[in-house]
Amino acid sequence: MDGVLSVKIAVRMKKLPRKLATTPGTRDILPPESTRLWDVQARILRRFRAFGFREVVTPALEYSEVIEEPRLRDASFKLFDQGNQMLILRPEVTTPVARLVAQRLRNSPPPHKLSYSLPVYRRTGVVRGQAAEFHQAGVEVVGSRSPAEDAGAIALLVDVLQDLGLRPKEGFAVVLGQTAFYEGYLRRAAPEAAPELLGALAAKDLVRVDELSAGLSDEVAAAAREIPRIVGPAADGATLEKAARYAEGEEAAAALENLRETLAHLEAYGCREAVILDLGLIGRYNYYTGTVYEAYSPDLGFTIASGGRYDNLLRRFGETLPATGFAISLERLLAVLPAREPEPLVVLVGGGVESTRAANGLRGSGVKVSHLAEDASPEKASRYARSVEASWICYPAPDGVKLARTGGGEFELVPVPEVAERVHA
Amino acid sequence: MRRLRIAVPKGAIFEDALAALGTAGLPVDVLRENGRRLVYRSGGTEFITSRPSDVPVFVEHGAADLGIVGKDVLEEQEPNVMELKDLGTGGCRMVLAAPGEKARAVREAISHAEVVRVATKFPNTARRYFEGLGRQAEVIALHGSIELAPLVGLSECIVDLTATGTTLRENNLVVLDSISYSTARVIANRGSYRLRHDEVAAVVDAMRARKQPQGVGGG
Repeated sequence: MDGVLSVKIAVRMKKLPRKLATTPGTRDILPPESTRLWDVQARILRRFRAFGFREVVTPALEYSEVIEEPRLRDASFKLFDQGNQMLILRPEVTTPVARLVAQRLRNSPPPHKLSYSLPVYRRTGVVRGQAAEFHQAGVEVVGSRSPAEDAGAIALLVDVLQDLGLRPKEGFAVVLGQTAFYEGYLRRAAPEAAPELLGALAAKDLVRVDELSAGLSDEVAAAAREIPRIVGPAADGATLEKAARYAEGEEAAAALENLRETLAHLEAYGCREAVILDLGLIGRYNYYTGTVYEAYSPDLGFTIASGGRYDNLLRRFGETLPATGFAISLERLLAVLPAREPEPLVVLVGGGVESTRAANGLRGSGVKVSHLAEDASPEKASRYARSVEASWICYPAPDGVKLARTGGGEFELVPVPEVAERVHA
Repeated sequence: MRRLRIAVPKGAIFEDALAALGTAGLPVDVLRENGRRLVYRSGGTEFITSRPSDVPVFVEHGAADLGIVGKDVLEEQEPNVMELKDLGTGGCRMVLAAPGEKARAVREAISHAEVVRVATKFPNTARRYFEGLGRQAEVIALHGSIELAPLVGLSECIVDLTATGTTLRENNLVVLDSISYSTARVIANRGSYRLRHDEVAAVVDAMRARKQPQGVGGG
């Protein structure tokens, strides 16, 4: 069977001219995956709304100047408009939302709690098996400095992942860091070495961190090596105590206090169990200024969501509002979600008016109906039903419909009002 | 939870990698038993073997939790992984080399900012090196036998790794510049490093690094 299929595929591929395919890194998404994508997106947006977030839509195209982050600029698809201005396809949504807030919401009182679910585009990683187009769903809280908002966003992320069937600890964990802690410590204890050490840590190169530390005095060197290696459950007080030993100076102490407050709010949300502290996590983008986090699943090597505080990003757009938020990568999330049964769908067969009447009646009683408006044998109807993942087929009858399970079930006469109960059982 | 999976590179640093894993008490002997297998289970650990340049790919995708790989490969590929430890073994230099009789001409061409053709297995490293010098190069990526390229006129010089310099000497190639010094590194997947931190840290901390004599890097 497989052999036949692969031969068929090979034959078809040969005939298809290359440039009629989808471009590298992009793809058509078909049912049932597309159905899942929309379902998951809808559930996520529902949870976002439960926390008071309201959706915005930004354009897929932005002036290239809008994005400053070098990694994102490099990764962007670029094009030119009629005025020869360089445009990019948005590589993320956080910066466009910052732009939107600065330009459109200047006169409304902060904080602005906005959400989105949009496709983003990146050139990198195509040969690494990463997509050039993928979907991000996220929230941004713009205009509040409170750690309660950081905790709120993390709690919302945990809420979303749990709502979709992932369990904290065995199914996912949120790794929480504080960029200002290590930075604050270094700025006071080793100001000259700080930029290089932070650069090494941003590159996740702890070997380089050790090499650079070797040039510092013993005590500072030990701290410079150890702080990025503090990793452990947030519920275990010892993890935070390890960090507290290095909370010297105003900046580091304030960062630690901020982390403590964030954790206290997470405790109040009841989701501290889902959090792992990592003082070496400082975020992939330069725009993060404090709290930073990434969500991981044991079933995937990549982050399924990431976020943090970016208090300086809006300055670029002429505002001084502090902000925090996260984005979930929907395709990655889908890859780790437990399988779900499709909703029951009935294929109703028949081209006559009585079929249309039955379809209308069934839909009116809450049954999902795909009407195959032609006369088809049960075999043909079953084949069609399987291809659209419908678990039932039926034909109109004088006192209801003749209903059977897809694939050779016995037909039974069921009154229209009772079909709903039958297929949802 | 599944076994901790470690990617071990075949080739030059294979034995060094096994030795380091051995010092951490991991049962690595299975890896020596049968050269054809790809996956080895032993105790609570699973080992996979692959080409050195593929190790970061397995680790970045989480197909392996930990890996051992040369710094040269990491600098070339810049994978998004945690770099946790320098094992100090498998030391080699990334060099710019040219045939003896053309060495002078190549040196002059580079100093006059002429475009030179350079063959290499490390195109990103080569490009960055020439960009760093403010010089221009036409980089030709090959997959093996780099030394052959200047001998048959495919390129004027090469950027390649050398441990002892023997292969270079045998092909009458002389080192024009030393670009970097590379040793074996322990890398971890970003998720595994956090979600299985205790296991990962225990293995990495227990792996003994061989002390590196200072100053070798300047070579």
